[in-house]
Amino acid sequence: MRNIRTKNNVDLSVEIAGIKMKNPVLAASGAFGYGTEYLPLVSPALFGAVITKTVTLLPRAGNVPPRIYETPMGMLNSIGLANVGVHRFLEEKLPELLSHHPLVIVNIAGNTMEEYAELAGMLNGQPGISAIELNISCPNVKQGGMAFGADPIQAVKLTTLVKKATSKPLIVKLSPNVSDIAAIARAVEQAGADALSLINTLYGMAIDIERQKPVLGNVTGGLSGPAIKPVALYNVFKTSRAVNIPVIGLGGIMTAGDAVEFMLAGAAAVQIGTAGFINPNTVKEIVNGLKDYCLKKKYPEVSQITGKLAV
Amino acid sequence: MLEQKVNIVSHQKIAPDVFLLSFRSDYLAAKARPGQFVHLKPSGPWPLLLRRPFSINRIKGKNIFIMYRVAGRGTSILSSLPQGAELDVMGPLGNGFEIDKKYSDHLILAGGIGLAPMQFLADRLKTMKLNARLFYGCSGKKDLLPCAVPGKVIATDDGSCGYKGFVTDAFLSRINKFRTPVVYACGPWPMLKKTARICRENKIDCQVSLEAFMACGVGACQGCVVKGVKEYLTVCRQGPVFNSREIDWEQEATL
Repeated sequence: MRNIRTKNNVDLSVEIAGIKMKNPVLAASGAFGYGTEYLPLVSPALFGAVITKTVTLLPRAGNVPPRIYETPMGMLNSIGLANVGVHRFLEEKLPELLSHHPLVIVNIAGNTMEEYAELAGMLNGQPGISAIELNISCPNVKQGGMAFGADPIQAVKLTTLVKKATSKPLIVKLSPNVSDIAAIARAVEQAGADALSLINTLYGMAIDIERQKPVLGNVTGGLSGPAIKPVALYNVFKTSRAVNIPVIGLGGIMTAGDAVEFMLAGAAAVQIGTAGFINPNTVKEIVNGLKDYCLKKKYPEVSQITGKLAV
Repeated sequence: MLEQKVNIVSHQKIAPDVFLLSFRSDYLAAKARPGQFVHLKPSGPWPLLLRRPFSINRIKGKNIFIMYRVAGRGTSILSSLPQGAELDVMGPLGNGFEIDKKYSDHLILAGGIGLAPMQFLADRLKTMKLNARLFYGCSGKKDLLPCAVPGKVIATDDGSCGYKGFVTDAFLSRINKFRTPVVYACGPWPMLKKTARICRENKIDCQVSLEAFMACGVGACQGCVVKGVKEYLTVCRQGPVFNSREIDWEQEATL
């Protein structure tokens, strides 16, 4: 009897940037579409929060196919922020997603800083959106994305501008394709970011040796999956020690053990990307696994794992 | 759509590099339509990352058949799985063929392993008492794949069996025999492109089944797109079957 009660006593909720989430497992932007594609297999409400596919001001067609290729324990993609644009997102996609009662974070990107600010402003009055995630780390677009994420000065300008345009909590998603991610992290923290998420994909490519051409239509792409996990973990470890705002970790998380590693390294929550493509039940397995880990380690709250790493 | 664990009931090589695999699934047997596909991987060790998509070849009773050609590491690993091995299957996915009774002749055009989804279609046409014919092209007699349809026309590149030449030419030479035909095509890109052109020029409705590298299989990642006339189309969700007029045939083949 006591055991059963103990089992129910693990508090899986976390609070990030003032948002209370029922568990620390989030759907990563781009990997869970607009949140309803996996129905009836996966309810978006299973996640602590669903981060939508990047939304831009105007619809985007995305890059030339092929856009996907498998590499050793990794996946290259060059989707290029294909999305329906903010108007259709607000009219169709968001209400459909909200009807399944998840906590929603909207990921945004623009070609210019003004576009980012305009988007943030448009989403500000929308009920049902808990936070904004700023995409300054997409390696697959020519304008925006990485262009703002690689340079601390640009990142600061953009974060400041967007922060002014919205009263919602602001999460900035950082790229590992920089020489010092902690420097960018500190800069956007100073500019008013409420939390950080990292990492986005790593630059990569693959070549078709028969055709002697790149496999991806866009020539290069972003690498995700278990192949990048050690890199992501290192970046989370390094960054979470450099800032005072919460860090959300992602990059190749496949199992509850992986999620625990990220939390030990300093992540307050984790995001699931590529793993969900292979095993749509990943979210359930990780939530349950985190609970088991807390029971084993006698933590009443999952948030106690964060930063527990002994070095 | 369901994700389930199934066991391989039968698995055999039926031609060079081509395998026929079956497993039992009450759910898929009840829900799947011709032209739809499943996204699968072995349940056990899988030294690869993503699932692999396979069209449904046939449903017999509760048994689901998958016909595939070994083309890369995924299919190579799959081909080594013995009877009884456990598979993790997601499906049915995609839209499937649209069958309309208004057509007088339902013409199936298949090239090589493009025959894979067609037995299921042929069986369904038969159940619906519709007049089906198969035009099937492959490189030679040794590569012939099985498909039970009355009125089969076979074309081989080397002439070792049936018509010598492309299946599209075999089809074109008989095109005037049909009153209000519809074409369902699956095969290599050049064959589909030619089929689409022949159908357009002869005002024949044509549905093509396409393939692409795929990650999610449900339309979430936007990875498997093909260029449509107006916009990119997801092969996994808006397809894999498209009206041939929706596709931009001038693009470079992606697979």
